[in-house]
Amino acid sequence: MYSKDMVNLLKEIMAVDFVVYELALFLDTHPNDRRALEDHNNFAMKSRQLREMFERKYGPLILDSVSEFPYQYINNPWPWEIRY
Amino acid sequence: MSNSENEVKMQNLSVEYRLGEAYIPFQSYGKIFDPRTALMNGTLFPELYRPYRVRAEL
Amino acid sequence: MWYYVKKLQYPANVARTDLGMAKFLFAQYGGPDSELSASIRYLTQRYTMPIPQAKALLTDIGTEELAHWEIIGTLIYKLTDGATPEQMRRAGLGDHFAQHDNALYPHDAAGVPWTAAYIQATGDPIADLHENLAAEQKARATYEHLISLTDDPGVIATLAFLREREIVHFQRFGEALMLVKEYMDKPKHVF
Repeated sequence: MYSKDMVNLLKEIMAVDFVVYELALFLDTHPNDRRALEDHNNFAMKSRQLREMFERKYGPLILDSVSEFPYQYINNPWPWEIRY
Repeated sequence: MSNSENEVKMQNLSVEYRLGEAYIPFQSYGKIFDPRTALMNGTLFPELYRPYRVRAEL
Repeated sequence: MWYYVKKLQYPANVARTDLGMAKFLFAQYGGPDSELSASIRYLTQRYTMPIPQAKALLTDIGTEELAHWEIIGTLIYKLTDGATPEQMRRAGLGDHFAQHDNALYPHDAAGVPWTAAYIQATGDPIADLHENLAAEQKARATYEHLISLTDDPGVIATLAFLREREIVHFQRFGEALMLVKEYMDKPKHVF
């Protein structure tokens, strides 16, 4: 099972990661845009902090994250099973 | 490359503007939505936000 | 290579079971203008793009389309969760149930299986980028049709998100087209 707090933190990660992705697509065609790159880098750092916080509390979001014993990555819920 | 008024200059890009071709204006970096609003809107960029309005029956 | 991140790009919710809408959503799971077609199209075309901006863009949009495929899969999964064979049958999903039970097989809204014939990779970057611009418009139109077929606020919000992504991708492919044109206009690339 999962908590409301877990879902809220996950949604915060989803929002920040969406901004990073949108900026990455913009930078693909505007690699010399200094302001966009600065925003990209700031949101990318924010994303890392949030992901670390999430994984400490609720387990890995990705298979190269360090896990407690037993392996936590396989645990529920999976993304399609969550009520957001 | 000719330097005519048919030349499109955006983002230091110079492309000759000709018949029989398609062109898209380059986006410049401006204001952005906050992360939550961006995710809900489906874009970070106010100038690209074009929400769907159901067409009225004719 | 790719790593899976255990999260959706967008928080997709549904209000209730709706097998009829699930059937229609297969249009974007395994239809001609589906997220699956989009992803395979861009990830296939990227090898023959002539400039780094276009290689990067096709890789990154192709990857995002896989995340959209997962969002459509989530909507169908949630809309059909717990449905009985009889309910599936009454919703026009009897044929699907016979072959796939409640699994998510990539076919279109009418049950036609996905095929690579839905996509093209010509090796000509101008032709391929125009195909991608058209693909984004066809997917946008399909999302508008799908939005008109439901009153579920969660489904509408999710489809509206995916529709808006088509508009953003169209802009990016357009920019890539301009950059490729500029590159090909340079004297050494005039054939």
